Amino acid sequence: MPLTLALAPHLVPVGISTGVATALVGLLMLAHIQFAAFQQGGALVMTLFDFLGMVRKDERQTRFARGMVKTMAVVFSIGAALAIFAMMILFTGLWSHFWVKLLRIMFWPLVIEAGAFALEIMALYTLYVGWDRLGRVRPLRIGLGLVLAVDLFVQMLAINFVASYMLTPRPAFNLPLILLNPTLIPLEVHRLIGNVAFTGALIAIVAGWRVLRARTPQQRSYADWMGAIGAVIAIAFTALQPLVGWEYAKEIQLHAYASWYDMMLGGLSVAFLFQMFLLGLILTAGIFFFWRRVRSSGIRSPTLALCAVLSMGAWLLGATPSSLAWSYEQVFAANANVPIWNGGLLIPFGAMIPWKLTALVAFTFVSITAVTVFLREVSRGHLRWGEARRSQALALITMGVAVSLIMALMGYIREDARGPFLITNHMLINQQQNFVPPATTGPAQGGAATGANLILGGE
Amino acid sequence: MARESTRSKLAGRLTHPISRPLAIAYRWVDERMGITDLAYKGLYEAVPRRGAWAYTLGSATLIIIALQIVTGMFLLWSYVPSTTEAWESLNYLAHHDEFGAIVRGMHLWGAYVLLLVIGLHMVRTFVSGSYKKPRELNWITGVMLFLLVLALGITGAMLPWDQAAYWTTVVTTHVLSYVPGLGHWLQEIWRGGNQVGPVTLTRTFAIHIWLLPALLVPLIVVHLYLLRRHGEHGSWVNYRNDPGESERERAERVLRAEPPYPAVPSDPGYAVPDDLDEFFPSQVGKDAIISFLLVLVIFVMAVVVGSPLEAPANPASLTYVPTPEWFFLPLDQLLVQFPQAWMIPVGVFVIPGLASTLLILVPFLDRSPDREPWKRPQLMVPALFTLLFLIFEALLAVNRLFNL
Repeated sequence: MPLTLALAPHLVPVGISTGVATALVGLLMLAHIQFAAFQQGGALVMTLFDFLGMVRKDERQTRFARGMVKTMAVVFSIGAALAIFAMMILFTGLWSHFWVKLLRIMFWPLVIEAGAFALEIMALYTLYVGWDRLGRVRPLRIGLGLVLAVDLFVQMLAINFVASYMLTPRPAFNLPLILLNPTLIPLEVHRLIGNVAFTGALIAIVAGWRVLRARTPQQRSYADWMGAIGAVIAIAFTALQPLVGWEYAKEIQLHAYASWYDMMLGGLSVAFLFQMFLLGLILTAGIFFFWRRVRSSGIRSPTLALCAVLSMGAWLLGATPSSLAWSYEQVFAANANVPIWNGGLLIPFGAMIPWKLTALVAFTFVSITAVTVFLREVSRGHLRWGEARRSQALALITMGVAVSLIMALMGYIREDARGPFLITNHMLINQQQNFVPPATTGPAQGGAATGANLILGGE
Repeated sequence: MARESTRSKLAGRLTHPISRPLAIAYRWVDERMGITDLAYKGLYEAVPRRGAWAYTLGSATLIIIALQIVTGMFLLWSYVPSTTEAWESLNYLAHHDEFGAIVRGMHLWGAYVLLLVIGLHMVRTFVSGSYKKPRELNWITGVMLFLLVLALGITGAMLPWDQAAYWTTVVTTHVLSYVPGLGHWLQEIWRGGNQVGPVTLTRTFAIHIWLLPALLVPLIVVHLYLLRRHGEHGSWVNYRNDPGESERERAERVLRAEPPYPAVPSDPGYAVPDDLDEFFPSQVGKDAIISFLLVLVIFVMAVVVGSPLEAPANPASLTYVPTPEWFFLPLDQLLVQFPQAWMIPVGVFVIPGLASTLLILVPFLDRSPDREPWKRPQLMVPALFTLLFLIFEALLAVNRLFNL
């Protein structure tokens, strides 16, 4: 059946309901994204630690890099299998018309994607199999790690050409405009940072688990150190996300207003609110870990304690709903666009401006401060590895799980916000056969979106 | 002893010009001005062997500034600072002057490369902790030079009086109006009234070729004097641990390092850097190679890409979209993100002002003796965040402007 559909795309909608098909593709791709995200972040982290291990002659860092390569090789197999299954069966079978059209428009990015995939196989397995032998010429191994990291960056860029185009398409058959569409760079930056943070979070989960299960002081010491590394990476990179995410949302607002409305004020606003909750949870758990971990080594850090308190405050502020309804639309429909103490449904402290914006800015600054203070204590040699306690291991696991959840949720929000379109304004999910390549589309012209115009105001 | 021999050789070379009358003339001048001594001091300074290539960025900056002055002088022979003739004069330069387009291109690309090289020079200084005692003033003068070069860049962009220059002038002079209290007064002084016009161009020209260089040149002199006074040994890579010496002891030894270096370890002031070399010819050679390559890049870019000249300024234009110079892209992108108009002063005045102040204060914010970057997370982590932020903002701005 799927093959028949691939050969005859005019037969869509497919034999099963659109909802089931959407759920199948969605679940598979969300799983694949998590595997791919770890690959990209893992390559960067692995190469960095192999380099640090060489420069600082630290065997522990080299061991860590080796462990990363092993894990990446295993994870790669599963992630690649999921991607191939999604492409061969689900896309060509359930969404064949869409897939054929997309291949026509995105032929070259997908060729690049395939080439980068082949290079990834070669580089990753060479590192995995020849780690020790390559170690005799250490710069060569680090260079190969760097090749892998750049290759994975290119791979993600190629797939982001597709993903960003589907949300904010530009005139078809003008490849530069299609590729460099308004949300490409925000998405690329957002995902790059997110992938590294996600890798740090996974390292933290494994480390937290190992701290709980450690039987020897050596095991405990290594797991403790690894947990600190994971937490620093996860929190440091997540700290950048509020700003980059804000800018991404701004571009969506300018170029795909309906999607932005759905995310911020419509049906997806609850998912967005949950995202704020998860962001607060990640940063608070991470900062709690820093504070308590330093304390376990006998250091009192009022700055870290303050950071933990501020983070909790920002979490509370950020996760406060803006109304007692499911979405703003319902508030308007109920004619209850006044604060709850005036008989309406609005909760003013949940408003985006200024409260959620304040929370986001606070998240960034508090997280950077916490990471800095923690690393200062580490650099001064104040921390004795192996002294992590159960509560700190649980904080690491909580943070890691929350990062994993937010990755999936973000993917869901991004893909679902396009609804009912597969390609915004050009192809409906259940009317794929109606696809007509647009001649002239794109955002409104004019200079509204320049800093210069904002400065000038009415001048 | 070796130094004395080098000095004699140098004196011999300098006092034996090609003819006897010249030698006599040279000796006459040398006795009165001490040229040989000056040349000796200039050329034979102890410099670090390790990290020598990284130290070439400072001299490259100096060479490119000199190139800017020379190309700027040539431009002055043709450029007319008037709203009716500025564009015409540059258009003539581009199309009817034998080398006019190349010289203007070199001035433009020289400015771009200069900003990059100064940026890299500052990053090198920051990462290696070379701003620490006794080099605090080297850093402060360096930051001031960087800010002056930025100001030269933006005022230079206003001079061609094409569409880009006109709207850059409108935006830049408008930014001043956000300075609390004095804003509108400052704006009127620069503009010469309420609107951008002929007086604005004259004043911008004066700022670009007189006021800013008058501040720049003395600062360069002070910067170079301080460099010679304290030596180029600020980085941790120039010092190795003596046997039995802890990292902290070494850090404290580096703090004391200041030429002339006492050579006896028992001396309480002992802080000799590892692996010394003479400035001439070793470091001068490396400096020359890097500077030559950079000038070559500037020349190639001037010939291949050139310098754009858009349509003449048209204040009545309703369709022209002003875009900032690339080095202001992060700031432009940041401004777009401000959700409400009342926050714009924060973006144009508070954040850049705060960032510049913090940059100047770096030596006083980091008082620890440690110089290795991994031992200074209190500064390295926020700096890394800032750098990443600037790169991301620039990328996002490019993407946004491309899609206008």
